[in-house]
Amino acid sequence: MDRNAHAAGLSAGMALADARARCPGLMTLPADPDADAGELARLVRAMQRFTPMTSPDPPDGIVLDITGCAHLFGGEAALAAQAAAHAGYTARHALADNAAAARALVRYGRVGEGDVRALPVTALELADDALAALRRAGLRTIGDLATRPLRTLAARFGEDAVMHLRQLLGEAGSPIVPHRVPAPIRTEARFAEPLARTDDALDVIEDLLVQAGRIMEKRALGGRRFLVTLHRSDNARRHLAVETAQPVRDPASVMRLLRERIETLADPLDPGFGFDSIDLAVSRTEPLQVRQMALNAADEERSDSFAALIDRLGVRFGTDRVRRLKPQNRHLPEVAQELAPAMQDRQAALWPDIDDRPPRPLLLLDPPQQVTVVAGVPDGPPQRFRWRGHLHEVRLAEGPERIEGEWWRRRSGHHAGKARNARDYYRIEDAVGRRFWIFRHGLFGEVADPRWYLHGLFP
Amino acid sequence: MSGKVFTMNARAPQQSARTMPLPVLASGQLHEVHAAGHDQAAALCFALSRSSGAGAAVLARMVRSGPLRANLQGDGLALLGIDPARLTLVEANSEIDVLRAGLEAARCPGVAMVLLEVRGRFAQYDLTASRRLALAAERSQACVVVLRHDAQPRASAAHTRWSITSAPSTPLEADAPGWPALAVELLRWRGGVADRQWLLQWDSENGTFRDSISGAAGAALSGAVVSLPAVREDTGESRAA
Repeated sequence: MDRNAHAAGLSAGMALADARARCPGLMTLPADPDADAGELARLVRAMQRFTPMTSPDPPDGIVLDITGCAHLFGGEAALAAQAAAHAGYTARHALADNAAAARALVRYGRVGEGDVRALPVTALELADDALAALRRAGLRTIGDLATRPLRTLAARFGEDAVMHLRQLLGEAGSPIVPHRVPAPIRTEARFAEPLARTDDALDVIEDLLVQAGRIMEKRALGGRRFLVTLHRSDNARRHLAVETAQPVRDPASVMRLLRERIETLADPLDPGFGFDSIDLAVSRTEPLQVRQMALNAADEERSDSFAALIDRLGVRFGTDRVRRLKPQNRHLPEVAQELAPAMQDRQAALWPDIDDRPPRPLLLLDPPQQVTVVAGVPDGPPQRFRWRGHLHEVRLAEGPERIEGEWWRRRSGHHAGKARNARDYYRIEDAVGRRFWIFRHGLFGEVADPRWYLHGLFP
Repeated sequence: MSGKVFTMNARAPQQSARTMPLPVLASGQLHEVHAAGHDQAAALCFALSRSSGAGAAVLARMVRSGPLRANLQGDGLALLGIDPARLTLVEANSEIDVLRAGLEAARCPGVAMVLLEVRGRFAQYDLTASRRLALAAERSQACVVVLRHDAQPRASAAHTRWSITSAPSTPLEADAPGWPALAVELLRWRGGVADRQWLLQWDSENGTFRDSISGAAGAALSGAVVSLPAVREDTGESRAA
């Protein structure tokens, strides 16, 4: 909720109709809690520049423990201002001696207020009936509660209420669980004498991979991206990067990929006067548990070797050249599927059932080929068509199957003339038995001279 | 021989083998499928319907071959009973890279089928290259198929060589084009009698091709028949073509 929205009289949790009534030009988007959580995690990481002790307070808060950090930024107020500016959002902040108090102040206090005892009892975050009971007893602020004996409070509202109250007042600790950045996995080898042979360098890289594998094994991780940097004695650096589809720890399989990468290099790996040092960084990791051997080891071996094949092909030809078909939730045939890199999604997407849909060709021409057509009646199937110099007599035809030009994806596409032309698809067979998928772009009467395109080949 | 490959519809299915069912594209062997450019889909359909078993399939092809670019359509694959998720496409810049990718895939024991799709002469595909593919297939028990569009058959180590053309289908109701129909000619069969023709019709109920002349149910490509003998004579390599 930023300042402008506040000025317009909007508030969080408002009904959409009310919000529209107050602000007619309101644009709305569906709520996406996952994206919100992701953004919060990003902000938590960004706040690490101010203090190593940062912790998310979902759904929309971050707690920073700035003990001993404030003087680096010119005092507490200056730090808070810088943090708010760095976050890039309209933010409120509060400073207190402990995390629970700061959190209560920022969520329930007025701006600039620093006294926990002046906060309303809602800051205890009790159930609604408990809050009503407190109000009925005339207890409106935390300060009122603090003067009462805690024993009766515990008897009436439970241990949690007392615990929370004591945390707010600083009598009990309110520790935060700081977000910790795991140490990067990086190994390095320095040599007393420059290493002049590429084979020796590869042996060293294998050693480094074994070391990195041990670190990853301890953390139950596997590497998806490995970056080897070779420092030559004349200060030149060579980088070798490989990516894998599955997280791996096994040095041998990474070595195979690296050798493959070296083979495909435009200019070979030239040691020159020798390599001074070699370092290896595992820049992307994923959880990889130790796996129990399956009873039928053959199946496992087969799927492992296929994953390794995808990696090898990806290294040799580029990851965007090794692809799989992936269904897309779109209407036009050419965008109803997409070729996605096989390395990205390990689990191939389930193809939607085709039983209730008209048949589709095996091959789709990209782009559709324009053909000249003789049609019997204006909105009928073609009788003959000419494509790349061949005249095809149409023997059988089925259609039309009308596919609209996705007007819902265009702004004001539902108005006449704003959408793309609809297509009328015909499945046809010519005299010698070839089957084609052909469409007329635009409907008769709507488009002056509709063109015909060949879009697919049936077996 | 070349004259035969390119006759489009003059195929005479009357001499279709009445006694012999269509041999399958057996795994562990190298097969060649020839087709004219217009029959690209038919050739692909013939080769792929062999892979209707389980296991991953790899299709290696050029980024751009010839004047037009034809992409595989998942729905069309599913119609032939092939799960599109099984298929991995590798696109290479040159013919030699297609061969390399195919060989790499053929050597992998996790791959059930490898398809190499190349248009035109494909000069790199010589006896040595085909022999390599055949050996890799034998070792990994993958079915390796080289699809050659608009190409002259050449001496190679392939176990079988086919020529595929589209055939007129049996019309569905209201004169709609029917299910896939292929005219198949066996040009070469190592260890068998070649030069035979079949007319295959897609049997949508069973999800297989059916020889429309002999009417042998499911015999076509379902793998229910005896596969080709994989053992060759000692001198087989020297008379590769």
